[in-house]
Amino acid sequence: MNAAEIDSLTAQAVAEAGAAGTADAVEAVRIRYLGRKGLLPQIMAGLKDATGQERGAIGRSANAFKTQVTAAVDARLAALRGAIQQGPVFDYTRPGAWRGPGSMHPVSLVIAEAVRIFARMGFRVAEGPDIETPYNNFEALNTPDYHPSLDTTDTFWLGVGAAGLAAPPYQASQLLRTQTSPVQIRMMQSHPPPIRIITPGRCYRRDTTDATHSANFHQIEGLYVDRQVSLADLKGTLASFAREMMGSGVGVRFRPHFFPFTEPSVEVDFSCHVCAGKGCRVCKHSGWIEIAGAGMVDPRVFGKVGYDAEAWTGFAFGMGVERIAMIKYGIPDIRLLYENDARFLAQFE
Amino acid sequence: MKIPISWLKEYVDFEATPEELAQRLTFSGVEVEGIHRIGEGLDGLIVGEIVRFEKHPDADKLRLCVVHDGRMELQVVCGATNFSSGDKAAFAPIGAKLPNGMEISKRKVRGIESHGMLCAEDELGVSQDHGGILLVGRDVPAGTSLVDVLGLPEVVLELEITWNRSDCLSVIGMAREVAALYGTALRLPDVAFPESGAAVAELARVAIEAPERCLRYTARVLTGLKAGPSPAWMQRRLKLSGVRPISNIVDVTNYVMLECGQPLHAFDHALVAGRQIIVRRARAGEGMTTLDGVARTLSDEMLVIADGQKPVALAGVMGGAGSEIREATQDVLLESASFDAPGTHRTSVALGLASESSHRFERGVDPELADWASRRAAALIVQTAGGAAARGVVDVYPGKAAARRVTCRFARVRALLGIDVAVEEICRIFEALELHVESRNAEGCTVRVPSFRRDVEIEADLIEEIARMHGLEQVPEAPIRATMGAGVDDSRTWAMMRLRERLIGLGLREILNYSFMAEKQLDRLGGDDAARRLVLPNPVSSDYAIMRPTLLAQMVLTLGNNMSRQTADAGFFELGRVFWRDTATGALGEEDRLAIGMMGRVGRSQIEGRRAVTPEDTFLGLKGILEILCRAQTGQDLHMEPAEHGIMEPGWCVSILAGTTRLGTAGLLRRALREEWRISDPVGVAELAVEPLLQAAARKRSFETIPAYPAITHDVALIVPEAVTHEAIVATIRAAAPLELTDVTLFDIFRGNTVGDGRKSLAYSLVYRSGDRTLTDDEANRFDGAIRQALKQHLHAEIREG
Ligand SMILES: [Zn+2]
Repeated sequence: MNAAEIDSLTAQAVAEAGAAGTADAVEAVRIRYLGRKGLLPQIMAGLKDATGQERGAIGRSANAFKTQVTAAVDARLAALRGAIQQGPVFDYTRPGAWRGPGSMHPVSLVIAEAVRIFARMGFRVAEGPDIETPYNNFEALNTPDYHPSLDTTDTFWLGVGAAGLAAPPYQASQLLRTQTSPVQIRMMQSHPPPIRIITPGRCYRRDTTDATHSANFHQIEGLYVDRQVSLADLKGTLASFAREMMGSGVGVRFRPHFFPFTEPSVEVDFSCHVCAGKGCRVCKHSGWIEIAGAGMVDPRVFGKVGYDAEAWTGFAFGMGVERIAMIKYGIPDIRLLYENDARFLAQFE
Repeated sequence: MKIPISWLKEYVDFEATPEELAQRLTFSGVEVEGIHRIGEGLDGLIVGEIVRFEKHPDADKLRLCVVHDGRMELQVVCGATNFSSGDKAAFAPIGAKLPNGMEISKRKVRGIESHGMLCAEDELGVSQDHGGILLVGRDVPAGTSLVDVLGLPEVVLELEITWNRSDCLSVIGMAREVAALYGTALRLPDVAFPESGAAVAELARVAIEAPERCLRYTARVLTGLKAGPSPAWMQRRLKLSGVRPISNIVDVTNYVMLECGQPLHAFDHALVAGRQIIVRRARAGEGMTTLDGVARTLSDEMLVIADGQKPVALAGVMGGAGSEIREATQDVLLESASFDAPGTHRTSVALGLASESSHRFERGVDPELADWASRRAAALIVQTAGGAAARGVVDVYPGKAAARRVTCRFARVRALLGIDVAVEEICRIFEALELHVESRNAEGCTVRVPSFRRDVEIEADLIEEIARMHGLEQVPEAPIRATMGAGVDDSRTWAMMRLRERLIGLGLREILNYSFMAEKQLDRLGGDDAARRLVLPNPVSSDYAIMRPTLLAQMVLTLGNNMSRQTADAGFFELGRVFWRDTATGALGEEDRLAIGMMGRVGRSQIEGRRAVTPEDTFLGLKGILEILCRAQTGQDLHMEPAEHGIMEPGWCVSILAGTTRLGTAGLLRRALREEWRISDPVGVAELAVEPLLQAAARKRSFETIPAYPAITHDVALIVPEAVTHEAIVATIRAAAPLELTDVTLFDIFRGNTVGDGRKSLAYSLVYRSGDRTLTDDEANRFDGAIRQALKQHLHAEIREG
């Protein structure tokens, strides 16, 4: 057989394989052309007799015959098998049947993230009751009873007995904690130093609700008491938190301030994560966002809990969870956090 | 607090723009909240003379004025009435621009052309006052530039003074800070004035009957005064500071208070009965009308200034109407006193009455300041109201304290701040703040605290002074320390976080409601718990009157709110605290609860969306969640018992138990309640205690050998009356079966004609397995036989064969 004859046989075999209606018919084609007694051995035998330049051409055609006919047979077999098994085509783009779109509330998201960040820095988590004593919430925190934060316009006093509020001072009355600092007092009373805790929780202040105020809100406070803890440790800790919470480029700065329970006291700004400190609407064009209050624990607070203020020093800080959530997620109004609109919650899946 | 920079500069020199000054102050402890530029953009405005005026023919409230602008007379329509002919006033001619951007053009007001505008202070951006047009002295020539007359523009700083720094609640106090920051000297005004005539002691007597509340009381008497307006410069400064000018004598007391921080009070001396001042506690029930015209009932916790007969002032808070300075006042008793901070605060709070005076006293006023302030005020009164000052002063000073000395150890500075501050720098800072260094050695120094620095009590206070003056930006960021203490047990918090994550994994959305709720909202839920409710004595509003005793009320509200926002399918949970008052002991209680609420097609695939939701669907969907939760969080199986609940449909309400521990209640919301919210589908709700659900973390887990031998599964189908429960059937099967029965699973329920009315057919698969051998079919059949027998015998079940 010369090369042209082989090429025409190739075309014929491919056509027959493609037209075969059953697997058996395909098998018959395979045996006729590729089988031990089929045409392929004859072609190969003819190759031996060929000479010179003819031999090269026959060789190429013989190879093409073998590969093309094999491919045609395999393809037809696969097509027949598929057609039998598949039936109509499955549409995997249909909606899944398992539906339960759970979501964490953004306030819980921030608390969970903060707890994890501080846990990596060695902080344990401490919690306490919402109903507190004036001692834990104010007096032990070096806040005198004539400080305006004790006023009934600021603090929810719960009254004495069933009778309601007595006249100020209200020492006999319990109150809704205005901060989670009383948890620090409880922990220091029950644990000797060193201590390293954060205290997330719900707090209450008699604010009229508006876009940035809510009569109940959440705080995360921190306390670290150890040998030679300084303002530099506070700055390092909050800087590390700022980077993990808001982004790697975010820095911190301190401004002097006053809190009854810390001395020195500072307010803590984070550089704006939106504009990288250049100034934008979020940071009111200052490049900085006020996030926390902090300071070195006042020795008079240590005195109240029986810590030796000469041997130990410590820092404390506190920040508002809703505020962080609003800044981090761009939520414009604090009330959105308490409206529980499923369309809002779904954004935090 | 507002301070005009020009006033500040009267006492201290510094070279800085307002922005630079604001930056320095903010980073040294006095936050500048605003820089207000007053009187900018007044360039085109002038002084106009109101030559004459008449009523607008078509408007009762408008006047037609003839205004002379220095060159000609113009017709101007004006709505104000605080002027008469010949007055000079702020005038914006045509073409001038107001600071708010408004351009003055010729326009018709009620049909009459107005060629310009007479301006009120708020229109000029000078103050918030819109009580009338701004008048200037009659001697000012018409046409003069308004800016020249008003001494504008001014830059006013708005400062936030922290509670501890009462010494900064004055211009001089701030000047002292600025002097320390810029290293310049403080310059105080001269307070000398001529004294004449009788000695004060002959004109007035002072007795302090409550020395624990009044640290010092000084009195001066000024006679032959003539009441009138205070000078323009004083009025301007008062206004820039946010204080309304009244008359010369009162203005001086306010001016000196703003200047040095000492509140002062001027009594009409003729109205002080017996010419005597008695500082005493009020008698319980004693009455008095304060300057604001309110009659007040006093308690014996309140301190009053009384004359021979009655209270004439609430000490440190507000004067009384009875001894007020009037136009006819000629003689004045000038009080400059120091009242205690806690007492003033309590009085102010109890009466709901706050003033510039009480604001300062309740933060502490330096008693040493009283006499200087009295002199300063006397000098200014004589200067502005004429008259003469009586000789000397009555000065009763029971509260004089020795100067405080505080030691600062240099090593402690480093310990607290984490930076090295040179000893020379430390001492320089102290001296600049008038904390005079009296002694010093290698370890530390001792400073004498001036009387005005009431906040500096201990070493840490001194170190704070160093920190804020040296600069907090110097403090480096120390690396995180790796040392770990034994630590606080925080397993509960982490268990709580796992519980929250499991609920989310079960397909629920977390919600957060307020801890407060409305009383009527609880009443609507059929609560009979009124005595247990923790009612807030001072709620923000009636919507937030009660500390929530349950999470369910707000859960229903949340579902309803979402329904009204067209979210018909929702599954929510809340982990929150509830509160109560123990009816027996009165003790207050709180605990964490878990609430779950589901409505609509929650959990169901979309393709089944149109199939109606039956009560069974909702109840069993909720039950499925509770079962997983219970097993995963407590390690025990869920049980239910019939129960009743005010908000739940009878027959569809159950108690939830984990083993024998009662967790809470679950069920379907009453139809009437959900229909109020137009929720047509059943609503599933549950409220559970949280503590039992946190046991998962503490639960001991241990390995059990995985079965080595194969199981045999047989089915049994039976027909029973409707009243027979699944639980009863399983219990009967379990009781009759050997230990080899490992699982009983309900796989079919069927009702219909072939079964008969009031009956149902149930099919169970029974799984048998032995731990030590392969069971034979014969054995399994024997087990089946015993079970069938028991079902027939105890439940009268009809066993369906085949
Ligand atoms: Zn920004």
